[in-house]
Amino acid sequence: MNEYPEQPKKRDLLKLVLTGGLVAWAGSVFYPIFAYLKPPKQPEVEVSNVKAGKLADIPKESGTIVKFGSKPVILVRSAKDELRAFDATCTHLDCTVQYSKEKGMLWCACHNGTYDLTGRNVGGPPPRPLEEYRVIIQGEEVLISKKS
Amino acid sequence: MKYLSTAILKVTLILCFTGIAFAQDQCYTCHQALGDKPATMYKKDIHFAKGISCASCHGGDSKKEEMEAAMDPATGFKGVPTGDEVSKTCATCHADAEKMKTLGSTLPTTQWEHLQSSVHGKLSVSGKENIVQCTTCHSVHDIVSVKNPTSPVYPLNAVKTCTKCHADASFMKTYNPSLPVDQFEKYRTSVHGTLNGKGDPKAAECASCHGSHDIRSAKDAKSKVYAANLPATCSSCHSDAEYMKGYNIPTDQHANFSKSVHGIALLEKHDIAAPACNDCHGNHGAMPPGVESISKVCGTCHALNADLFSSSPHKKAFDERKLPECETCHGNHDISPASKSLLGVSNDAVCSKCHSEQENPKGFTVARMMRTMIDSLETLEQTASGLIDEAEQKGMEVSESKFKLRDAHQARLQSRTAVHSFNEEKFREVVTKGLTVAHEVGTEGKAAVDEFYFRRWGLGVATLIITIVGISLYLMIRRIERRQSLSKTKTQ
Amino acid sequence: MKKLLTKYYSWIDERVHLEDLVHFMGKKYVPIHRHSVWYYFGGVSLFLFIIQVITGIMLLLYYKGSEELAFESIQFIISKVEFGWLIRSIHSWAANLFVLAAMIHMFSVYFEKAYRKPREITWLTGMLMFFLALGFGFSGYLLPWNELAFFATKVGTDIAGVVPGIGEPILLFLRAGEDVTGATLSRFFGFHVAVFPGIFTVLLGIHLVLVQRQGMSEPHGFNPNEGNGEKTMPFFPNFLLRDLLLWLIVLNLLAILAVFFPWELGKKADAFAPAPAGIKPEWYFMFMFQTLKLIPAKIWFMDGEVIGILTFGAAGALWMFVPFWDRKSSKGEKNRLINYLGIFAVIYIIILTILGWIL
Repeated sequence: MNEYPEQPKKRDLLKLVLTGGLVAWAGSVFYPIFAYLKPPKQPEVEVSNVKAGKLADIPKESGTIVKFGSKPVILVRSAKDELRAFDATCTHLDCTVQYSKEKGMLWCACHNGTYDLTGRNVGGPPPRPLEEYRVIIQGEEVLISKKS
Repeated sequence: MKYLSTAILKVTLILCFTGIAFAQDQCYTCHQALGDKPATMYKKDIHFAKGISCASCHGGDSKKEEMEAAMDPATGFKGVPTGDEVSKTCATCHADAEKMKTLGSTLPTTQWEHLQSSVHGKLSVSGKENIVQCTTCHSVHDIVSVKNPTSPVYPLNAVKTCTKCHADASFMKTYNPSLPVDQFEKYRTSVHGTLNGKGDPKAAECASCHGSHDIRSAKDAKSKVYAANLPATCSSCHSDAEYMKGYNIPTDQHANFSKSVHGIALLEKHDIAAPACNDCHGNHGAMPPGVESISKVCGTCHALNADLFSSSPHKKAFDERKLPECETCHGNHDISPASKSLLGVSNDAVCSKCHSEQENPKGFTVARMMRTMIDSLETLEQTASGLIDEAEQKGMEVSESKFKLRDAHQARLQSRTAVHSFNEEKFREVVTKGLTVAHEVGTEGKAAVDEFYFRRWGLGVATLIITIVGISLYLMIRRIERRQSLSKTKTQ
Repeated sequence: MKKLLTKYYSWIDERVHLEDLVHFMGKKYVPIHRHSVWYYFGGVSLFLFIIQVITGIMLLLYYKGSEELAFESIQFIISKVEFGWLIRSIHSWAANLFVLAAMIHMFSVYFEKAYRKPREITWLTGMLMFFLALGFGFSGYLLPWNELAFFATKVGTDIAGVVPGIGEPILLFLRAGEDVTGATLSRFFGFHVAVFPGIFTVLLGIHLVLVQRQGMSEPHGFNPNEGNGEKTMPFFPNFLLRDLLLWLIVLNLLAILAVFFPWELGKKADAFAPAPAGIKPEWYFMFMFQTLKLIPAKIWFMDGEVIGILTFGAAGALWMFVPFWDRKSSKGEKNRLINYLGIFAVIYIIILTILGWIL
């Protein structure tokens, strides 16, 4: 290699930059890769979707809040063993409603708004009924979906 | 028999003819002479005064002296109108503006039309005629102006006229079983009913609110007592300063109500669940609620606040001082959306009206603490929500934090309600929950925004490195190729 | 350092005769002419495929291929796993760039008629890989289980079902049932991460071996030895280094795209929800999708859609077997028909794709 009339200093610089660059580049590629491989704080994705759970796990006279996308949906199993699901956002001021066993109705803790088990606003300040969601029972599983 | 009666009539008619020569209305002349009731009554009737003959309603020729000729069906004699014919007979003049004008009347001519579209204009149980005919309320043959105290529709009499049917449970059941029949009893307990009973024709009676001919169901959006229309109906008297003179009550309720949170919800947003006048004052038994019962009245909707208030130390203190519960802080007709400015010890806050640092230091401190906590919760929630929005706009995945933010929002709303417990501990519990969540969300939002910038910087650094490597690689290629061509020329 | 490297090199060389390979590589030349630039697209496609393999394996570590968890696991990857957003976005972007690069590679080979004898097998394996790439795209599109993908898959498999005779069984096979369900997702997941990569690797191996074995195709009448200014360059290191330079740029481009235009996840699929507006297939299916939309419902006595699908099938087959019916090019003669057909195909695809986006 020395037979070529090249200045050794310049050659070293280019090689140095290239090698250094390659090392840095490798770093910028491998850092994300290793960070990705590192187990995250929450090690596994949580089960939270429109599958509301097993029918057997939903007690009578109860309301379960199910995360439906970014909205909460309340799944109610009434005393008459009916399954219904509603948008759990109170139509008054966006609080989350709950099932009140004592009243047998959906109830909002913020201003005591009440809805009957068809989602109709029957007491307190809520101006509109709750949007109803469809409940589908597939074998043992209870699914909630938006009404079309 | 028939022959006999006609013979008697004939004799009478001849007698009449000889008795009153040239009488214009032969029907009246004879029937009065016979002493039959309608003719006797008719003398007082406003229509008699206007010169309207019997024949105008009953048909026939009033100029003919001969009975047979006068009551000949060929001349249009109808006899006694029945069923819907009754109202139609009235309408021949009362729905005809021209005719009414020539008779010198300024009455409206829409009554018949209104009656037909009203709740009374439906077919009766017999299915042959409408429920109500003109004569049902206005009576017959002794009809007088509504301003005449003898009229059955004169304000002082109207109540009884309506009651004839509306207090009759067995009758009302045939049309509307769920409609109460105790309106009259309630009415007599109201301010309106008491005044009416004392003989004040200006006090509201049934028709004042329900309308007269155009009465509709309260659920009908066109009804004068439909929730959204009711405030205007009440205000037709209560906002009329001239009319209300002598009653010594203000006349600005409607103006105040329309600006209030309830008025805006009802009148502008058409939320008919929002309270109209009657929801607080009652309808037939209309009367301002008493001082101690205000929280119960408001509590029909604002139940949680009312419950908290009733069990709070304020209940006793307010009652002792005769302070009107909710109204003391929130006002009555002009209730504005409750804002946190009501709370605390600043000049515009209501707490400081009673609680001062010197005289009532405990309440003063709690009020100040509550305000501070609500303020900080609000600020924290706003900051968190702002950060989440920013992160979302920057394309970061923050749906979970956003979901969590709902809890902070809920806690803030609950804390506003919790104020009514006027209990430091209960309040603090609710607010603390909100503060914790808002803080968590804020941290997550901040991290997401930071992450966004970290990505940009990371990319910048990586691009810089790649550019350097790229350039030096390019130079390397050039050098290698220069050497290759050099060595090629050398070998040649 | 250098000595150590030489030591390791000679240790391996002694056993597997690396010297032969280096010698072979050194002898390989890349022709230099005005269309040389197209040679790089094969390399770029290869590089993007490698990226897909690496990022794909990485995604596999956290992805869960089931109806309940697919969407959530991707959400988890992009929000909870460090740099998950980057890996996922790069995988999505590189998939699209890969199809694009492969398409350019294919058309350049077509117009250069580089498929002619003796490179028929190279062309065939390339075409098969291209179809597989489309299969990768189609199956991968469904995996996030979002609304858009769900309905696009519904429409896409519906189209396959139209083919007379075999359509119905194909549809059932693809969907694993009458409808697009969780079973379809499992199936597509299997295709995407096991079946397709397996076949692809074999084809890629053949393809690359043939390219090395037969060398780069030269255009008609290219003759570097006549001293008419036509040159060649050594594959190693000249061409390979240039390749590397381009790969670096592509990698950077991917990073920029991933940071500035992160691939959207959208809303979770809901089988009972009404189809959202604007369901579009991926851009590389757009021209076919658009054709089927524009074609009249009935042509003569046949279903317009069926005719469209059969025509595309026939055109695809014709395209794939071009080395076998284009006799002229193999004999070294000019074949203008091939150019016209190619230009027509390119223009048709471009116009219909644009139409698909604006209509």
